Amino acid sequence: MPQVPILMPQLGESIAEATIMRLLVQPGDEVQADQEVIEVETNKAVMGVTVSCAGTISRLSVAEGETVAVGAVMGIIEATEEEVERSGATVLGEGEEPAAPAPVSSTTTSDGAHFRTEGEYREGSGAPINTGGRGLPVPMGTRGAHYLSPRIRSRMDELNITEADLAYVTGTGAGGRITIDDFENFLDYVDGWPSRPVSPMRRSVASSMQRTWRRPIASAGRPIYMAPIILHRRNHPRKPGITLYFLRALAIALAQAPECAGYMVGGRILTPRRIDLGVAVQVADGVMVPVMRNVDQYTLDELIDEYNKVVAQARDRKLDPAYVGGGIATVSNFGGFGLTFASPMPLPSESLILGVGSVEKTPVWSDEVECFIPVEKANIVASFDHRVVDGGDIGRLMQKIAYYLEHPELL
Amino acid sequence: MSVTYIDAIHQAMAELLEEDDKVFLYGEDIAGKFGGAFKATKGLAEKFPGRVLNAPIAEDAIMGMAIGAALSGMKPIVEMQFADFGTLAQNQLGNNAAAHYYRTGIPVNVTLRMPCGGTPGGGPYHSQSVEALFAHYPGVHVLCPATVADAYYMLKQAVQIPDPVVFMEHKFLYRWLKADTWIEKNPLPIGKARIARPGRHATVVAFSAMVPEALKAADELAANSGYSLEVVDLRSVKPLDTDTILASVARTGRLLVVSEDFPWGGVAAEVIARVSGEGFHLLDAPPLRVTSKDTPIPYHPDLWKAHRPHSNHIVEAARYLISL
Amino acid sequence: MNGNELKEIALKAYRAMEMARAFDTKLSALYKAGKIYGGVFIGRGHEAIAACEGVYLRKGYDVYTPFIREQAGRCAWGDSVLDSARCYFGSAMGIMRGREGNVHWGNPQEGTVAPISHLGASVSVAAGMLIAKRMQGITDAVGVICIGDGTTSVGATHEACNMIAVEKLPAVIVVTNNQYAYSTPNSQEFACKSLCDRGLGYGMTTHECDGTDFLQTLQVMGCAIAAARAGEGPQWVVANTLRMCGHGEHDDASYIPQELKDSFADRDPLTVARRQLNELGWLTEDEINAIRSECADEVQSAMAQVQKEPTPSPASEDWSATSWKPTRY
Repeated sequence: MPQVPILMPQLGESIAEATIMRLLVQPGDEVQADQEVIEVETNKAVMGVTVSCAGTISRLSVAEGETVAVGAVMGIIEATEEEVERSGATVLGEGEEPAAPAPVSSTTTSDGAHFRTEGEYREGSGAPINTGGRGLPVPMGTRGAHYLSPRIRSRMDELNITEADLAYVTGTGAGGRITIDDFENFLDYVDGWPSRPVSPMRRSVASSMQRTWRRPIASAGRPIYMAPIILHRRNHPRKPGITLYFLRALAIALAQAPECAGYMVGGRILTPRRIDLGVAVQVADGVMVPVMRNVDQYTLDELIDEYNKVVAQARDRKLDPAYVGGGIATVSNFGGFGLTFASPMPLPSESLILGVGSVEKTPVWSDEVECFIPVEKANIVASFDHRVVDGGDIGRLMQKIAYYLEHPELL
Repeated sequence: MSVTYIDAIHQAMAELLEEDDKVFLYGEDIAGKFGGAFKATKGLAEKFPGRVLNAPIAEDAIMGMAIGAALSGMKPIVEMQFADFGTLAQNQLGNNAAAHYYRTGIPVNVTLRMPCGGTPGGGPYHSQSVEALFAHYPGVHVLCPATVADAYYMLKQAVQIPDPVVFMEHKFLYRWLKADTWIEKNPLPIGKARIARPGRHATVVAFSAMVPEALKAADELAANSGYSLEVVDLRSVKPLDTDTILASVARTGRLLVVSEDFPWGGVAAEVIARVSGEGFHLLDAPPLRVTSKDTPIPYHPDLWKAHRPHSNHIVEAARYLISL
Repeated sequence: MNGNELKEIALKAYRAMEMARAFDTKLSALYKAGKIYGGVFIGRGHEAIAACEGVYLRKGYDVYTPFIREQAGRCAWGDSVLDSARCYFGSAMGIMRGREGNVHWGNPQEGTVAPISHLGASVSVAAGMLIAKRMQGITDAVGVICIGDGTTSVGATHEACNMIAVEKLPAVIVVTNNQYAYSTPNSQEFACKSLCDRGLGYGMTTHECDGTDFLQTLQVMGCAIAAARAGEGPQWVVANTLRMCGHGEHDDASYIPQELKDSFADRDPLTVARRQLNELGWLTEDEINAIRSECADEVQSAMAQVQKEPTPSPASEDWSATSWKPTRY
């Protein structure tokens, strides 16, 4: 009977692996096409893996808690020939090995040569060989604190330790580098502390933040008047989420100045193709960032339903793949936690994040009535890759954002 | 009473001639009362008439003759007067003897003894270490004993191996290296390296006369700094016991290879290539080597001493390696 | 040797010549059809010399060191054309199992040396086989060692010939002077008057024959080999001919002057041998035709068989160059 593999799907552009949360079926179970059989947790989402055809589960080769690479076979379904034909499912071959590419053959001979050769090499034939030049693969010397020996790196991989974790260690090697002895001593020290394992979500946030921190991230902020939004929201029948106002204001401002969300790669700055914006949602032990598409193209009112939906999905950690990845900037409303000021971090795949502080009622002198009057204010803070933009660009961007926030009817 | 490295070789050949009538010796000046340029075969011609034969000065033909004799069921032991002249037999050894088993399925049971390595005043053509030139060819085994016992046991084992074996005897060790006896309780098989001295801070891989130099360096370093070197004696450079080397590097994280040969493409390079390839994850510092200089071997003893790796060079390199 | 014995030897040698010619002709055709890897090297013009040296040897007892154009000698010695074909086609069933090709095959256990490409390298190997026999108490074995005019220039040949002479080995060194070493004529290969001078220099007994004259060659080889077998020391035989083909089948030998080729037009060893045997009344025209046809059939069936045989597989190849391996711990 044909055997159809259950594969770990590619659950996002940069996802290489996922952790098995729950096995929803057992060997021997009958399954239908498209049925969810395994629940997995990736970087930022819990998702169900489905099967591509109906049949009987003959084998499951993964266990709950295990981390599995994308494309790995997690189990086998035995399906009928008809079902395979109908579903178009890919069947495992006899040896389970892909056929080797057929050798390119040619039969040139060189007349009169002492020996004949087949498929002679001729200059200019075939693809040119790239001799590199994309950066040096190894450090030029070992004298420096930055240098981690192959042995330390392999130990770090083994133990899931990152370079950031070594901040604690004072190196005793040449130029202050950490030697393997320093490293092993550090491990002994660490073993003396109480600890708990890091969840996949936490690990993913840690990895993101660490990668983002390799860039020179600067922050700049200013206050805005919140009364217009509060009033607008109070009078709105559907009570749009506060964060949505900021998303919309940021979208309009970025549509006018997309260079503020440029992304630097090598000698180039990538320009946003669309104004797709993320919204940071705090969940258990981490943060999820669903991305809404073309936020500049729709009005606040048009976005309310979608916004509510993605936030709810994020809270359940069951994001529709349409809302995963591809953003150019993110809004993080830390005001919800009573914070008035924070320095948010952009995602490693973005250069810009807009933070929103909590609303405070502060006394402001009024020249009109010649007394202090209570005014509702909040801070907005932008963190950005300083290689891409400068404070002036961000100041102008923030000014636009403030303008729209103070005129919510334009949103 | 003490015995020397060359006594061990002489004894091994005497026993081989005694035990196996297929064994015979062939080489320049080895027969008669003379007994070879280094006297390794002294007395054997008288004791084993017709089985210790003098050859004309014809290194290529000497080796070719040994191949033919081996193909007819004999086990010739050939002596090159100096390993330096072994290059004249290299075609016969590399292209004929070494290739023979792969080509025909019939191995060539030839043992090629080559007095190698430097001595003061030896000069460019009586001092070379050519083990890498011979080890380059598929189909040979290349042995480089560094102790009196190994000189004895490895020569006896070499003749039992049906393939061509190049037996590199170090001329400096001939009479300089002494032991109470060549007998050892548990002699190692060929293909197994020996931990000549255990240590913790760096692995020093050496062979032939560089083993005593490395041991001396390890003693000096331990006395002056407290660092301990683990000395691995390769014993055979082909087969190369990568497992023992990697296990040692796993303990120490650092590798220094010492070879008396020229630097370019030698055994030291091979060891480093293997450790870098198979044991990159074990290295805590770049692997280093100490070899002789990339010039012909000079005649004057002062130049020669500077040209060839000395225990001082090994100490210096080990200190640098450990400082990294 | 009485008349009957000579006739028997002559007919055996002649049959080997026909077999070799049929083999070489077929091989050349297959090469030109693109069926053979590498090069093809045939012995047109060498057949009488090769057959007459091989026919006096005892396979499994004597030593034979055939060279590049010795197919007739191999046939006379007793090897089948199938074994030669297997080497050319790289058959997994052959002695060399596809690891070696063309003329580089031998079976040392039967007394033939598997030659390497380096000219002269096999001379000392054959000497070693003879020394071993002497040590083993075998006194009446001989070795025929084939070299050419070009090989006499190689240092290894000189070392080995001198050694053979010093050791007084029962060796017959057959120097086939076919006038060209690849494209190099004798005038650029050596400056002595005759290649016999070289043998004299080593202290060997020398012989010379017209290698296109079958009966003369048969007699000279017979004398030389008998002398060596009788313990008279090494013999040096210079056999003269012309290479009546290219160095290999890729080579049209256009550098050989037409006049020289023409002067050998009626000296093809096969034509000469047929005529001589017919004149002696040892073979009729019909018998000659029958032998030729039998040889052609045997060659044809060997070539057909070898092309159906399995070729070596890189997957099952053990890729090991030594018979002994160290124990891994």
